[in-house]
Parts: sequence; C-alpha cells; structure tokens
Amino acid sequence: MLKRIPLPAQFDRIIIGGGITVGAIGVPLGIVLVTLVAFGVISAPEMVFFVAAIIVILGALGCVLLPNIVHAALSLTATLIGVAALYLLLMSEFLALVQVLVYGGGVVLLLLFGLMMTNAQDDPVVTDGSQKPFAFLLVSLLIGTFITLLLSGDWGNPTAHVVPFELFGERLFREFALPIIIVAVLLDVAITGALVNVHTASNDLPEESE
Amino acid sequence: MPDISVTIGMQQAWLLPAMPVVAFLIISFFRKLLPREGDFLAIIGMLGILLVTLFIIVDFQGFFHDGEFHPGEANVYAFDWVRISADNFLFLIEFSTYIDAISIVMLIAISIVGLMVAIYSTGYMQGEDRYGWYFAVLSLFVAAMLLLVTSGSLVWMYLAWEGVGLASYLLIGHYWERQSAAEAAKKAFITTRVGDVGLLIGIILLWKATGSFDIQTIIAAATSGQIGETYLTVAMLALFAGAVGKSAQFPLHVWLPDAMEGPTPASALIHAATMVVAGVYLIARFSPVYEVVLVARDVILYTGLLTAFLAASMGLVASDIKRVLAFSTISQLGFMFVALGVGAVGAAMFHVLTHAFFKALLFLGSGSVIHATGRQEVEYLGGLRHKQPITAATFIIGSLALAGIPIFAGFWSKDEILHAVSSYASPFVYIVLAGTALLTAIYTTRLVLLTFFGDPRDRSAFDHAHESPSSMTLPLLLLGLLATVSGFFVFDAVGNLFGFSGGIGYLVYLHHPHSFHIDWAFASVATVSSLTGVIIGWVYWHGGAERAIKARTWSPDLHALLVNRYYLDELYQGIINRVVLGLAGIVAWFDKKIVNETGVDGGAQFIGYFGYRLKFLQTGKIPNYALGIAAGILVLSVMVLARA
Amino acid sequence: MIPIEYFLTLGAILFGLGLFGVLSRRSAILILMAVELMLAGVSINFIAFASYLDTDAFSGLIFALFVITVAAAEVGLALGIVLRLFRERRTSNVDEASDMRW
Repeated sequence: MLKRIPLPAQFDRIIIGGGITVGAIGVPLGIVLVTLVAFGVISAPEMVFFVAAIIVILGALGCVLLPNIVHAALSLTATLIGVAALYLLLMSEFLALVQVLVYGGGVVLLLLFGLMMTNAQDDPVVTDGSQKPFAFLLVSLLIGTFITLLLSGDWGNPTAHVVPFELFGERLFREFALPIIIVAVLLDVAITGALVNVHTASNDLPEESE
Repeated sequence: MPDISVTIGMQQAWLLPAMPVVAFLIISFFRKLLPREGDFLAIIGMLGILLVTLFIIVDFQGFFHDGEFHPGEANVYAFDWVRISADNFLFLIEFSTYIDAISIVMLIAISIVGLMVAIYSTGYMQGEDRYGWYFAVLSLFVAAMLLLVTSGSLVWMYLAWEGVGLASYLLIGHYWERQSAAEAAKKAFITTRVGDVGLLIGIILLWKATGSFDIQTIIAAATSGQIGETYLTVAMLALFAGAVGKSAQFPLHVWLPDAMEGPTPASALIHAATMVVAGVYLIARFSPVYEVVLVARDVILYTGLLTAFLAASMGLVASDIKRVLAFSTISQLGFMFVALGVGAVGAAMFHVLTHAFFKALLFLGSGSVIHATGRQEVEYLGGLRHKQPITAATFIIGSLALAGIPIFAGFWSKDEILHAVSSYASPFVYIVLAGTALLTAIYTTRLVLLTFFGDPRDRSAFDHAHESPSSMTLPLLLLGLLATVSGFFVFDAVGNLFGFSGGIGYLVYLHHPHSFHIDWAFASVATVSSLTGVIIGWVYWHGGAERAIKARTWSPDLHALLVNRYYLDELYQGIINRVVLGLAGIVAWFDKKIVNETGVDGGAQFIGYFGYRLKFLQTGKIPNYALGIAAGILVLSVMVLARA
Repeated sequence: MIPIEYFLTLGAILFGLGLFGVLSRRSAILILMAVELMLAGVSINFIAFASYLDTDAFSGLIFALFVITVAAAEVGLALGIVLRLFRERRTSNVDEASDMRW
C-alpha cells in the first residue's frame, strides 16, 4: 500500500514507518495531555514539558538504538531540539537559541559530514558491541541511583528566574571576559589541531600524493 | 716576623688541610685543562703548608711562659658540626684544631717531606698515565694527614684517619692495571680496616665514658680517674689496635711490604714518613692516659719489640730494594712503639722526625735507582755508584742514618730510645732492641753493597742506567742534608737556637721535660754495635757476596722462613680461606637461595604470573575502558547514595 | 510551575541513555553522538539549577554555554581523528583500533 502513495522515491520506508509510529504514540499521548490540561490536573507549562520530554527521550532512544547511522543522527537532531524547548521552559532564551544554532545546525551537520566522509553512506548499518547487555545493566543501575539520589534530596519549592538578554550579554563580556577568551583560544586550537591532523594524514597516504 | 705571625698563627691551623684540599679539588676536576696536569698546584699547596707551619712554629713559642707551655690557648674551637641536644643529653661533634709540640713535630715532617716528594714526583712520574690524578691524590693525602695531626676532635681525627687510608689505597693501586698492585691496595685497605674498627670502638668507648669527642677533655677525664681502670684499659687497647693497623705493627704488618706496589715517591711520603707514623702520633697524643693504664703500655712495648725484631730479620733476606726499606720501616716503627711503651714520648717523636727524613731519603733514592734501571731486585743491581753518584752518596747518608752511625740523625734518635729503654724497662728488652739495631745495620749495609757496589749483575740494566734529573736529585740532596743534621736538634744549644730551651725534650715531652745529656759510655756501646753490624754486612756481602750465599745454604730452612715472612701471610690467607670464606659461603647461600630465589625472584615471579594473567584486561578496545569508567562512576554514586 | 525534579530526572535519563550509547556502540561517529546526548543531559541540569536555585541565575548558564562551546570544539577535533582513523584503516569501528593492548 505504501508503494502506491505518491511520495518521492528516496523517502525511506523507515522514515515513513517512524513517522507513523511517532504519530501512533504521539497523538494518543497528546490527547491524554490535552485532556489532563483541560481538567486542570497539570498546568500548560507542564504539558509543554511532557511533550518536550517525550521528544527528547524518544529521540535519545532512537539515537542509541537505531541500527542505521543516518537515522540515529536525525533522531539526535530531534532530541537536541527538544532540549532547546526545555531551555525555553527554563527561561533561558539565549541558550535555547545557541542550542538550536550550534547543535541543531553546526554539530549535527558536522556529524553528517563525518558520516559522508567515511564510508558510512555505503553501509550505514553497524552492529553494536558485544558488551551491550552489560552496558544496559550498568546504565539502568546508574539511572536508578541518580534518580533515587535526586528524589531523596530536599529541593524546597523554587521558582525559575528570567535572565534578560541585555544583562546576560553585559555580564558575560565584563565578568567572564577572560573565560570567554580562553574558550576562544580553545576553539582555535581545536580547529587547528583538527586541520593538522587531517592534513598530515593526507600527506601520509601514497595514493593521494600522486 | 711578629707582624705576620699575628695574622697567621696557630689560630689559622685550619689553613693547613684547607690548602691541599683546594689543590685536590682543582686538579681532580680541571687536570685536563691545566698545563702539566696541574702538578704545580700540588707543589704550591705544599709550599703554602711549609710556610704556615713555619708561622705556627713561630707562634707556638709565644705559648711558652716562663718555660711552661699553656696549650689551652692553642685549642681553637671552630664550629659545631653536629649538635643534637635534648634534656640531659648533648651529642656534640665540634670542629676544632689543637696544636702542641707533638703536632708540630708531625707538621714539620709532613710539610718538608711532602714538598720534597712533590718536587721529586714531577721527575719520577714524568710521562706516566694519570699524572695529574697522582698529584691530586697526593694533595688529598696531605690534606687528610694534616687534618689528622691538627684536629682537636676524635671524630674529625677518625675522618682524617680513614682519609689517609683512602689516599693510601688509591696510591698503592695507582698502577691498577697490574694485578699485584690492585691486590696490594685491597690488602692494605682491608688490613688497616681491621685496626680501624678497633680505633672506632675505642672512640665510642671514650665518648660513652666522657660524653665528649674533644681529645683534651677525654685526656683530662681519664687522667683524673673518672673512668674505671678496666674500662679505660680496654678503650686504650682499642685505640692501640687502630695504631697497630695503621703503623703496620705485628700482627697487622703484612700490608706494608705489599704496599710497595705503589709509585715510589708515594711510598716515601705515605708508607715511610707520615701515614705509618699516624699510629705513633695517636699513642703519643694520648700518652698522658697511657701513663695511667700501664697494662696497655706494656702491650705497646712488647708489640713494638716483637715487630722491630721480626721485621728486621725479614729485611735481612728480602730481595726487593723497596721491600727491604718497607721491612726497615716496620722495624723502625717498632722502635717508636717501644719508646712509647716505656713512656719516652720525646724519644719516639724525635725518632719520628729523623726517621721521616732518612727513610724518605732512602725511598726516594731507591726510586731514583728504579727509575734509572727499571729493576728493583737487588740481585740484578750492583755497581751503580759509578752511574748515579748523587743518588749513591745520598743513599749512603740515609743508610748510615738508618744504621745508627754517629753524627747522622738516626744515631741520636735511636740512642735516645735505647737510653730510655735501658732506664725504664727490663734488660731483656734492651738486649733485644740492641740486637735489632745490630740487624738494622747489617741489612742496611747489605742493601747498599748490593745496589751500589760490586759488579753489575744485570748488564743491560746497568748500561741503561743514568743519573736522575735535577728535579729528583735536588730533593735527595736536601733530605740528605736533613738526615745528617736533624739529629743535632737533640742538643740544648741547637734547641735554644730555634727557640726551644732544652732541645727536643722540651719541644715534645711537656710533662717531664728533660735536657738531653749524652752518656758517652752508652753512646759508644751503641756506636760499636752499629759498626759491628756494618762490618758483618760488609764481610758477608762485599764483592760477589760468596759468604752470604754460603750462609744461605748453611740453613735453608731458616732462610725460607725469613723469605716467606714467617709464613704469616699464608697463615692469614688460610684463616681467611677457611673461616671468613666459609662463613661468607653460608651467608652467600642464604642470600642466594632464601633471599634472592625465594624472596626476590619468587615475589617477582608471583607478580609476573599475575601480570601475565591480568594483562588480558587491556583489550585495547575503547568501549571496554569506558565500561570500566562507568562502573567506577556507579560505585562512586552508590557510595554517595549510601551516605545520603 | 514545573518542579525542578522533573528537569533533573530528565537530565539523568538523558545522561544515562547517552552513556548507554557510548558503551554499546561500535561506530566512532555514533559514540560521538552519544557523547552529545550526555552533554545535553548535563546542560539541562546546569540550567535547571541556575534558573531555580541560584538567585543570581548566572553561573550555571555560563557553564552551559561553555559546555556547548567545548562540545563543538570536541566534535570538530574528534571528527578529525575519526577521519584520520578511517583513512588509515578504512574503518570507523573503534573495536578494530585496538593496537594499544597487551
């Protein structure tokens, strides 16, 4: 039936399948959330949080479980955008913007380029390591410990503050000028290092020096 | 002179060891850069020592007030070297210098002979390998020796005592490429160490009894009866054990003949004139205490007597020219200990002085012979007086002094010793000692006759021979002069001339100064005995030495006994082989099997096995390592959880 | 208002999922992605603390900013290394780059 739908041929079946799955899970969840909001069980920001949290967790699961690297990268993008939404909920518009720009734009693009440069596009499916069961056990315990820890803490009932753009920029470039410069140097060094690394590698290869 | 003596005097005695130490350091570090490998620095150092010694003598006279010597003012306290203090407890090692007449005699001997030997060595060691190193060690030796005789503290004295031992070791083994030289150096070092342990025990015993390392404090405590008599006797005998080792007395004399493997000028300085009399100096320094412990004094007396006689008899048959002199040195040191044993410190120190001059002269003369001919066995020498007139003449002067012929230095000092022995000890001691003096004259004559007279027995060595360069003959001439005249110092008139009323007795023996008065009957007996010895020697060894060869066949067993040095070396070697090496074998077995193979190797194999097993944890796969890190984080967070 | 525990729990889950990815994946690029997840989880924690607990509401933000920056640098550099590895070995499988072992 899917073949009859007039979609571009390169659209992957799994993407379509994934979309259907997300829709199948997301729509009932959305209905449940909206109903809860409507009956006043949760507030509107909480509803937004749950939506974002579902996106984030589903994306993360996809990122670490999907066998196809390109799909994993795409679900990573979903996660990062969900995180940006969380930043907005935490009243940090600036960081949310930076998150979308740097992660959603830069980093994911970079990762995709990395995929392209390696031969991942020929055979994007890689098998996972043999220590996966151990990793699962360990990570479950770790998450359990973390959550137990943070729930056992007494956080009081704090509320979130807003940091205005102007104040943020002012303080960033006055009080934190030196760390900013150091980070700038760090970036410089990292880029130079990456360049040098790749460049010498190309010199070492006999077939490229022809 | 007074103006200078204000600035340099007994207060500046630390300069004496400091100068050669500087020379040693400069030569040993920069000898490749210096012209002539820096030998001139050693000579400059020796000249400086001689100069300071002269100033000290001048200053020293200022400490005489009304014919009394006040040494307290001469004891210069310099600094605390180690100071550990607690309640009712003080451990203090101080650096101090102490100069008295005994030190001055040693200083004169060291400075003059040291300078002569340094000058002589520039000719003798010319063109040798390690030329600069030789002079560096010579400077080190002189520094240690000067520290030894000027130190007021027993610890520093012990330090210097080991320092001269080290320098002696280095110089005996100077030609270490030769197996025999390396073994002789080892033998000398180990044998003297046996005695040094005694010295260390003595020092510790004295410190435990008095709580001080200061020599004068110890002497004062001991003579005032603060220390129990048995305790003091043991301590003093332990000190004497050190002297026995260093001064090559029976039974630890075996190292000195072998020590002749070193360069001859070094033998002259170390193994004839200075280091070997360190033991005499030590006993003389503690002579007030030995006045109290008469048992120890008797031990010294009879040890010296036995050594003197044994060594003289061995010198009678030794064939190596330097070994004859070495046996003679042992014998003469025995004379000195006999003098100390009867309490005649003045006579002993006088003999130290004259012996330093004439024995250094003899050694340097023998060095000249060896330098010229390349041989040192008397069987291959002979007739050299035609080729080496200066060497022969000075050697004969030294021999006459050694034999005890009147007007030469040895006569006066030996006469003093015999005189003291006849007054204070039994006739038996006197007769044995006089007999030893006779033997001395005989072997001395033999040595001179076989070396410089008769027909040359090794024609090629004889033809090759020539007189030594002036750098070597000049010290010979100067020492020859001193070997002739230094005995006159015994006369009051000569002593007065140098500012010591009462001659050598006043200079040295402060507690019972006695003017020397020559007993003509006594002296003539000694002279006749010496001349008899010379005549006997001439009869046996003149010309082709036919009578001597006949005498050898008369009793081959006795001859073999003497040539083999009473088989003492073999005895010691046997003891070492059986007892020491047996014990060492047990220890070595324990070390090898238990400590090494079970303890060390076993542990290593244990670790190695587990390492081999555990290395497979290092898979090289990054996710495995990350898993480890994550597990660590989990453990840490569980710990935090457990605490929360 | 949303309780802070929500954000913290989400951060912990995100961190754990990222760690799971790091431990279970073999492809170097996927490991890098998982590291990004871990960093995001930590950043959420930082910002939550900054917004809720710090009256000044600032240090945590700066930290999150730096985390983002350093992560960008890290990705750049790490991709360089991965590229180099791929050129040398024709693979981006980290299990095959295991020369540093016994």
